[in-house]
Amino acid sequence: MGENILELKNIVKTFPGVRALGGIDFNLRRGEVHAICGENGAGKSTLMKVVCGVYQPDSGEILVKGQRKVFHNPLEAYGSGVSIIFQETSLFEKMTVLDNLFLGHEIMKKAGPVRVIDYAAMEKQAEEIFRRLNTDMDLHALVCTLGMAQKQMCEIAKALTFHADILIFDEPTASLTQREVDALFVIINKLKSEGMGIVYISHRLEEIFEICDRATVIRDGCYISTVQVAETNKDTLVADMVGREMGEYYPKTDTEIGGELLRVEHYYDEGFLEDISFTLRRGEILGFAGLAGAGRTELMQSLCGLTGKAAGKVYFNGEEMVCRNYMEAMEKGIVYVSEDRGKYGLIVDLSVEQNISLPQIDKLAGGLKRLDVKREEELGKKYIEEVNIKAPDGRFLVANLSGGNQQKVSVSKALALKPSIVILDEPTRGVDVNAKAEIHKIISGLTRQGLTVIMVSSELPELLGMCDRIYVMKDGRIASCLDRDEATQENILNIALEGVKEKRGGLRQ
Amino acid sequence: MKKKELSTEFYLLLFLAAACGLLGIFAKGFYSVNNLTSILNSFSYILISAIGMNLIILTGNIDVSTGALISMVALALAAIGKTGIPFAGLFLAAMAMGAVLSTLNGLFITRMKIPAIVATLATTQVFQGILPLTCEGSIYDLPASFTWLAFEAKLFGIIPGSLVICLAVTAAALLFAKYSRFVKKLYAIGNNREGARLCGIKVDQTIVLCYAIAGVLFGITAVIVATASQRCTTTMGSGMEMTFIAAVVLGGTSSAGGSGRIQGTVIGALILAMVAPAITYLGISSNWSDAVKGAIILASVITGEARNIKVKRVITKAAGGGA
Amino acid sequence: MKKIKLTYNKALFLIWLVIFAFIGFRAPGFLKMNYLVNVMIKNIIEKGMVALPMTLVIITAGIDLSVGNIMVLSCMLGALAAGAVGEIPAVILTLVIGAACGMVNGLVISRIKISPMVTTLATMYLYLGLARGITEGSSVYSYHISAFLGTQKLFGIPLQVWLFLLMAVLFVYLLHSTVWGRKIYAAGLNPDAAAYAGININRLIMQIYTLTGVICALAGLIFLGRFTSVKYDAGTNFNLNVITIVVLGGTSINGGVGDMRGTLLATLIIATLNSGLTVLNIPIDVQTIVQGVVLIVALVAYAVVGARNRRKKILKVEEAPGASV
Repeated sequence: MGENILELKNIVKTFPGVRALGGIDFNLRRGEVHAICGENGAGKSTLMKVVCGVYQPDSGEILVKGQRKVFHNPLEAYGSGVSIIFQETSLFEKMTVLDNLFLGHEIMKKAGPVRVIDYAAMEKQAEEIFRRLNTDMDLHALVCTLGMAQKQMCEIAKALTFHADILIFDEPTASLTQREVDALFVIINKLKSEGMGIVYISHRLEEIFEICDRATVIRDGCYISTVQVAETNKDTLVADMVGREMGEYYPKTDTEIGGELLRVEHYYDEGFLEDISFTLRRGEILGFAGLAGAGRTELMQSLCGLTGKAAGKVYFNGEEMVCRNYMEAMEKGIVYVSEDRGKYGLIVDLSVEQNISLPQIDKLAGGLKRLDVKREEELGKKYIEEVNIKAPDGRFLVANLSGGNQQKVSVSKALALKPSIVILDEPTRGVDVNAKAEIHKIISGLTRQGLTVIMVSSELPELLGMCDRIYVMKDGRIASCLDRDEATQENILNIALEGVKEKRGGLRQ
Repeated sequence: MKKKELSTEFYLLLFLAAACGLLGIFAKGFYSVNNLTSILNSFSYILISAIGMNLIILTGNIDVSTGALISMVALALAAIGKTGIPFAGLFLAAMAMGAVLSTLNGLFITRMKIPAIVATLATTQVFQGILPLTCEGSIYDLPASFTWLAFEAKLFGIIPGSLVICLAVTAAALLFAKYSRFVKKLYAIGNNREGARLCGIKVDQTIVLCYAIAGVLFGITAVIVATASQRCTTTMGSGMEMTFIAAVVLGGTSSAGGSGRIQGTVIGALILAMVAPAITYLGISSNWSDAVKGAIILASVITGEARNIKVKRVITKAAGGGA
Repeated sequence: MKKIKLTYNKALFLIWLVIFAFIGFRAPGFLKMNYLVNVMIKNIIEKGMVALPMTLVIITAGIDLSVGNIMVLSCMLGALAAGAVGEIPAVILTLVIGAACGMVNGLVISRIKISPMVTTLATMYLYLGLARGITEGSSVYSYHISAFLGTQKLFGIPLQVWLFLLMAVLFVYLLHSTVWGRKIYAAGLNPDAAAYAGININRLIMQIYTLTGVICALAGLIFLGRFTSVKYDAGTNFNLNVITIVVLGGTSINGGVGDMRGTLLATLIIATLNSGLTVLNIPIDVQTIVQGVVLIVALVAYAVVGARNRRKKILKVEEAPGASV
């Protein structure tokens, strides 16, 4: 193992209102694969975006090969040999592989008086790189025609065209098949043996134990520990990652749980969901845990008729239910609150009351289709009070609210429909601690009023604190179902990380 | 993936070949020298500007002021041409004027952050107004030196000068598209503006330069259009922008930017230039030519989109299978 | 936001007032009621009418370049049919053709997902070409009902002005007071979120483009009556003129932002400019420049206001960072 080629000293990065990174130290040696682990929201990706120039740190130093560097954009970072392979690829979809590889630093040659792109040289170099990566690649194919694994290869190849010696992988295996993952690991090992330093960010512990040399754990934006992977075990790592005490701020109140309200049997959606079966009982809060990409959001959207057709049977109140579109689901009393409130949840340029009334806008029509502004205002007022949205009045623009209050509007929108089942997808994502607690209180309150809640969340403490039962999903299947008293962070993480147990789909009543 | 190679250009070529074949059988006299010369002349000026338009549309922008810009340059040329200056002078003046006016568009769009279609809509009205002030609707009785290109400049005594210019421009554009960094930047901006910025591309500057280059090409079209007769009117270029945009769209360039090739635009321009004479020679009233143009464009974008959707579906399946 | 919208309308009103006062001062003849109503307003009616549904189209982030050609095609076919089938069926036919043309636009845009600009660019040629082909390039002439719409007066004011006022009220009501109007804003601001709130976006788009087609047909009837004859190319540049009015009225071409009253004020401004500058004997070309400059000033003003607004918004939104960490 060689000298340090990347050192981070006391990196601090704050966004308005949130301290994303609070003084992180990190070093990477030549010829090692160094994992960064942490829960969702721990700050892993933010840290790496700071390293490669997407964000600039508020304070702290980045030393590349011993020299202090400040990067203003990824291209500058590339120039110093630091390359990142993003979760979602940053390639230009409608351009060819070759163009993507060399965009911004095309190889030029002299042709008479002018300098022209030297395709032959670029092709030669690209072919060499892909040979090094053991990958067949049609250099002239458009990137949009490639699969995820191939796109990733392009990203790696792009990094290599810059002669990178520091390579950062951000969740590289999230959308790869096992075979593709194996192929990727062969390449990572090869690059490592050639003397590159590799930073590897992943949720999947087994991968970390498979290819990483050291692991640094961060939690809530803070540095926790750095260990030799060979000298540690999964439990220690998980303990470091989880760390935090479970507080009293999950005001779960026990409610009367009734009979079966929704039953899903053998639900399939090709490529996303496989043989999903579960039940939901009246008045309970049902949690869905799992890693990003495990299929939780896909399942919920499919149940609500938001995505295309799926096979399988759904029984609602004992009767078979088919929702061809979301409108039908809403009529039956099933509403979905999206995880991405900026894109799907809210129209930020409309006011609070306008957002709350939108799903039932047709019901607010008076004579001549006139919009009953009075009733809209009342509706807005009601939920501003009930849900405690911190807005001066209903006419306040949602865009001017904080994340937590925006989320409250998003939830209110669903509640105003007086549904019988509310599906909350990541209800507290990007929300500060206080607002989180308030949203939890609201959710608890809902069940007391007889509502039934499905909660999809990547934050385990939240699920553990709020839910009566928790289904753990993995790779589009239900891996396990845990009761409130048997669920712990450790066993959920282990199930989500390790894979489908024999008892998958096992329904417990 | 090999199927993807059957691009829009391929289908257009197929269509063009079929059309040419059928015209040979059913349209007597279509392949007469006179007719071909006239088709190639309109093809020339459409294509030159369409290439400029193509560059602009690649970046996800558009220019609807082109027609007015061409009118303006044409009139200015007529005013200069009255003095009897030789063709080369006219040519350079036209390119310079086109570049300046189009750069104004580019600056307006990038500096004010106004959507291109609205910005150029506004400049259209300014262009339309300014130059006619200097004359009463038209400038006429222009000297022979002015119409040199249209009547005397014939390569080997038969190939019209406009076509020679057009071929030169097209060849240059094809080389430029392939071998310059600049065009790669245009594609990148059209694909993903933010991504391009992160790659260190100076987006605004590139767009302005793109408009300037397109302006030079618009200027060349203006020369060909203006020097076709001894009279220049204030509305010479009126409505031409739509033809250029149509040629680009027909050629498979996405109006959202980021994809499409100059080869496609060449075929698109050729098809559009052929429609009117083809219809006449088929014995159908030339009054139907616009309808046919419209139908061809509509059919082309719809089939293009249908193919696109199919490709997308395959890709989602492929990607989804790995999830 | 509300406040800024209001000031923008007020600014438009002030601009109009200044222009109006200036022209009135220079040419007192301009201020005669007779001139104002019978020339100034009458000349803009068709554009003003089509600007109303165009505002809706642009608020949904769409655009319709084919309006002028729908107008001409529908009124021409109606006029051709009038001799054969009678006048009332001819009027109905006109409106049906307008609706059909609009519906084709809506279908291609909403179902096949081709961008509104490309779609209507293609149909613009198509409708222009159909009008030209069917009439073989010759003019068609007005018939009674059309002439009635185009020339009749009621209480000394042309019938079409009454009609326009009625429609103006109706459209202001539609956009600002009905459920439908709210859906249009929602679809323009964030179509994904609107769909997730259960709004049928495709149907909405269809409705709007079809309505645009019908209004174009109605404007076509008036247009034909006013000029007694129409040629196939009469609709050229009509689209850009209408879009100018809408954009001048403060409707953002990016969708989601717009005000029907702004469109009405902009109609008034353009009408005043067109007629007023004629009264002042200013050549038509200068008029175009003035119109262009007014549009540019409005755009720049709007861009500056918009940028300030956006900056405020971004500050707030950034409080919820890195959701995907």
